Amino acid sequence: MAAVENADRRRRILVVDDSSLVRLYYHSALERAGFAVEQAINGIEATEKVLAQRFDLLIVDINMPGMDGFSFVRDLRHRKADIAALPILMITTEADETDISDARAAGVNYYLVKPVSEADLVRHATALAGPAS
Amino acid sequence: MAPHEKHAAPLVTVTADDVERLCEFLYRRTGMLFDGSKRYYFDRRLTERMLATRSRTFQEYFANLRADAEHEIEHLINAFTVNETYFYREDHQLRCMTSNLLDEIVLRKGPDEPIRIWSLPCSTGEEPYSIAIWLMENWPDVDRHNIEIIGSDIDTRALAAAAEGIYGERALMRLSRSIKERYFRPLMDSTYQIDPGLRDSIRFTKVNLVDTPSMAGFRNIDIVFCRNVLIYFDDASRRLAAENIYDCLRPGGYICLGHSETMSRISSLYRVCRFPDAIIYQKPEAEDGSR
Amino acid sequence: MPLVKRDNPLPAGPPERSPVADLESPDIEVRWRAARGIAPEPKFVTSLATALERESASRVREAIITALIRIGDRSSAQVLLPYLRSQDAGVRTAAIDALQAMPDATAPFMTSLLGDADSDVRILAAELVRNMPAETATSLLASLLDRESHPNVCGAAVEVLTELGTPTALPSLQACAARFAGTPFLPFAISHAIARISRAEG
Repeated sequence: MAAVENADRRRRILVVDDSSLVRLYYHSALERAGFAVEQAINGIEATEKVLAQRFDLLIVDINMPGMDGFSFVRDLRHRKADIAALPILMITTEADETDISDARAAGVNYYLVKPVSEADLVRHATALAGPAS
Repeated sequence: MAPHEKHAAPLVTVTADDVERLCEFLYRRTGMLFDGSKRYYFDRRLTERMLATRSRTFQEYFANLRADAEHEIEHLINAFTVNETYFYREDHQLRCMTSNLLDEIVLRKGPDEPIRIWSLPCSTGEEPYSIAIWLMENWPDVDRHNIEIIGSDIDTRALAAAAEGIYGERALMRLSRSIKERYFRPLMDSTYQIDPGLRDSIRFTKVNLVDTPSMAGFRNIDIVFCRNVLIYFDDASRRLAAENIYDCLRPGGYICLGHSETMSRISSLYRVCRFPDAIIYQKPEAEDGSR
Repeated sequence: MPLVKRDNPLPAGPPERSPVADLESPDIEVRWRAARGIAPEPKFVTSLATALERESASRVREAIITALIRIGDRSSAQVLLPYLRSQDAGVRTAAIDALQAMPDATAPFMTSLLGDADSDVRILAAELVRNMPAETATSLLASLLDRESHPNVCGAAVEVLTELGTPTALPSLQACAARFAGTPFLPFAISHAIARISRAEG
């Protein structure tokens, strides 16, 4: 696994959402755009992956069982520097002002409201993670 | 094929999509997480269960599973967890203990405060004895500290067997010959008994994870090994067990779950810690304030 | 040998006090012990409800919710329902995890939740349908799809139908795909759901 990763110069994105269809949708769009994509079903699984692998961007939902997106982001921002500095794109169904300001306060870099087109997804991912490869 | 299978229909093929659906379902119900590399493992176990339940299609099997007909969820979990217990099982967590956890733990200890490690459930004792042996074999500071190891289970027969400490060859298969010679005595019938000094130094007690009073006598525990049992509990019992263990741990204490288990369907009380050898969960050291 | 064995368990803690009164204590440890010490009986639901309303510490909140789950009756579910509307994501998550743990108690409220005026509540409600038997769940979600105008609610329903949907859902899925043709995500999601359901029968 490590050997493959070293040879793979693609930017790596972790998609965190409890909906398998949403994860699949982002996964295919982002891989087609040249990114390497991993998935996690909630904040706890995502934390485990972030601590174990290098990522260039996290795409995170809010409403997930076990650990919601805000809790996940806040917890991450308390960890060591390289993890605390990871760019985070929040894509979620919530759209009101409190959520957006909560997101900013938690340290989210950018916020999008679902449904998101593939083009918008790739554009924002590229802006936050850097070009795919 | 055995003679009686001569006329059996060919096995139903299970698709990648079916496996994924099963993984998601298992995760939501039990918190067990399997990554893509385990696909081969899945195919076999799933086919076994489909045969056992006489399901002709995956859809049929999955519908029964969702309804938990005849406790199929438990049967499926059993198929995925190695039920055989043996010494040095999941030793990456033991390695994590000596490589990382103990360093953190001793920082918080007073000069004569013992390090307290709890194997729960301990079944027939392989786990608590493994912990003891591993420490003596692998921890350079083992003689500088008092270490208390407790093994607990709800099954008194298992506890009696643990106290007796007699095991067959299979249970010792991961141990080197030198370790076998150092800690076991061979008996007449090809079994081995743990050295009496070691047997006497581990406390075995009956405990019920979901019975709060039964857990109340245990406090200031530094590490709990609670592997491959919470997956069998329902949601309420899992939460209760997690809360009971929380009270037993000292602040900053650690809990190790089984290899495929995650805390995410169990409880949100603990913090995820990643070490080179394992993912371990931690009781927070201090209250981080209300939300 | 550095291994030590203590023969007697630690002495029991302080004598039992009244858990119900202690739920209101300013001391977090007292509240925690109280929430954990309450017997899981329906007569305590009201006290737990009041405590939940006032509780700001997440750990104590979890313990109160565990008590409610253990009681697991209709009144417990009723206590948790309003928290689906909370502004705090953590509270919403705690509520939905709890309701998922008591499907029988939650069942009587499903129709009303799926028809709630707030689309965010309808989204969470669709997730709760996952715990119902496949036929009932399919019927509820298909009806939802037939009348739902919010794409994210449809998305939530389609997600659950992907797990448990029976072929009776196909017409509603197809109609929904037609209504949302050309929009992001939903056509993709529906085609997956349809493929999964059709394949299962084939």
